[in-house]
Amino acid sequence: MAPMTERIESSAELPTADQPPAPRTRGRPRRRPRGIGLGWLALLALLAAAMIGAPGDRSAALTLPNPDGGAVIRLRAEFGRLPDLPFVLVGMDADLGTYPEIRPAIRAAFDDLMRRGASLAFVSLTAEGRAIAAAEVERLHAMGARDGALLDIGYVAGVEAGLVRLVGTALPASATGQLADAVRRRGGGLAAFDLALLVGGSDVGPRTWIEQVAPRLPDLPLVAIAPTFAQPELSPYLRSGQLTALLATVRDAAAYVEVVSGEGLTPLPDEPQRDQSPSALAMLVGMVVALLVLARLLFGAIPAIGRRSPHEANDEEGP
Amino acid sequence: MRRSLPAALIVAFGIVLLLDFVLVNPTLAGLADALLELVVLLAAAAALAGAFVLVLRHWTDLVERRRDPTGSLVLLGGFAAMLLAGFYPGSSGASDPAVRWLVAALLAPLVASLFAMLFVFLLAAARRGLAVRTRQASVMLAAALVVVALLLPIGGAAGTWLAAVATWTMDVPIGAVFRGLLIGVAVVTAVHASRVLLAVDGADD
Repeated sequence: MAPMTERIESSAELPTADQPPAPRTRGRPRRRPRGIGLGWLALLALLAAAMIGAPGDRSAALTLPNPDGGAVIRLRAEFGRLPDLPFVLVGMDADLGTYPEIRPAIRAAFDDLMRRGASLAFVSLTAEGRAIAAAEVERLHAMGARDGALLDIGYVAGVEAGLVRLVGTALPASATGQLADAVRRRGGGLAAFDLALLVGGSDVGPRTWIEQVAPRLPDLPLVAIAPTFAQPELSPYLRSGQLTALLATVRDAAAYVEVVSGEGLTPLPDEPQRDQSPSALAMLVGMVVALLVLARLLFGAIPAIGRRSPHEANDEEGP
Repeated sequence: MRRSLPAALIVAFGIVLLLDFVLVNPTLAGLADALLELVVLLAAAAALAGAFVLVLRHWTDLVERRRDPTGSLVLLGGFAAMLLAGFYPGSSGASDPAVRWLVAALLAPLVASLFAMLFVFLLAAARRGLAVRTRQASVMLAAALVVVALLLPIGGAAGTWLAAVATWTMDVPIGAVFRGLLIGVAVVTAVHASRVLLAVDGADD
């Protein structure tokens, strides 16, 4: 175990910005400053306590839903433009890591669409998206979705090539049911749908759909719900009109869930507790911790900003 | 000429797909569909082959006690559990309750926990970044500080003002950077694709 301990100690003592790296000594390993571990533990305990004990933390001073409701208004306006009994294609390519962030908004969108009489067809280009889609289709069945309103197209391999193929042939030969028959009557391709709701993840996302499907089917409206990290990448497509609506932050998602909840959500009996938006207090505590740590690091580095770090000096000296 | 066959295939396939995109011709459309079908089948076969190689490698590691036999055992156990849940007689595949339980109760919480740890690891990475590249890391941290402050979930007039500034920041400076980035990526991709299609020297290597 001795070499392992030594390695951990040496990596924890990287030189700070205003301090040149000390020559590594082989003697007794240096001790960490007292209190660092306890500080982290206290912060994490505070965060955990806020997450567990802060349901219903809505107040004038603390609110998760975004006061700027522009994203929600655009999404609902797009849903409002749908014809009666519309066919909506759900491109489910979320990943298991980030799906918890957008799940309440996705489920609210399913509720919102089904309340408007929409039929939903699910397709996935990723394996994780396929697993999530299968679970969501089962959940919608369990919720009592009307007969023939759901269709599971399944997993399509080949990502971009698969998407281009979907444009002409979206239905597998084995697909049956009212929705499958109706889509076949409309040509069987993606053009048979009135809207595509794209659920993004860290692998395949709305950008791939915009690149491959939008140029081939310019009349098919594309709306997206994606995790926060995807917002900078997708915002330009929203401005250009290639994406007609986008929910891509926790706050936008919370605002949307609040609007749909106001009209009556239909969760399964055991869901209300675990399918709510994250607590605003927990989010605030986490963000304040991040702000404090980042500010401390930044202010600590100010004296060294004008100087070159040893790594930069090595780089400039060249090989 | 070392790679002339792959280059020739790429050029031929690329031209067919490009022509199919700009021309309406049933024969061309049929040919393009066949090519796409082939690519989809190849991708599916590659995924299966990848899974097979992964299992083979970890099985070998386990039998010969190389690298990390415990990790290999866990991986093979997980693989076997998921396959059994999806393939036992009478199973409904990916939508089978056993598969859904494995995904919802085991896989999703595990992956979400890993993502949650990003919070701690990103802060630690910021500290290390400052030690290695002080100026660049300082700019990045200052930007991160501003973005986090703008997204604070507070209400009232302050919250409304922060939300308005956050929207402007996303639409104007960050939006401009990402638009430039996306256009740059598209231009470079188009140039590289043209070099491959025109068989410009070195593009296929």
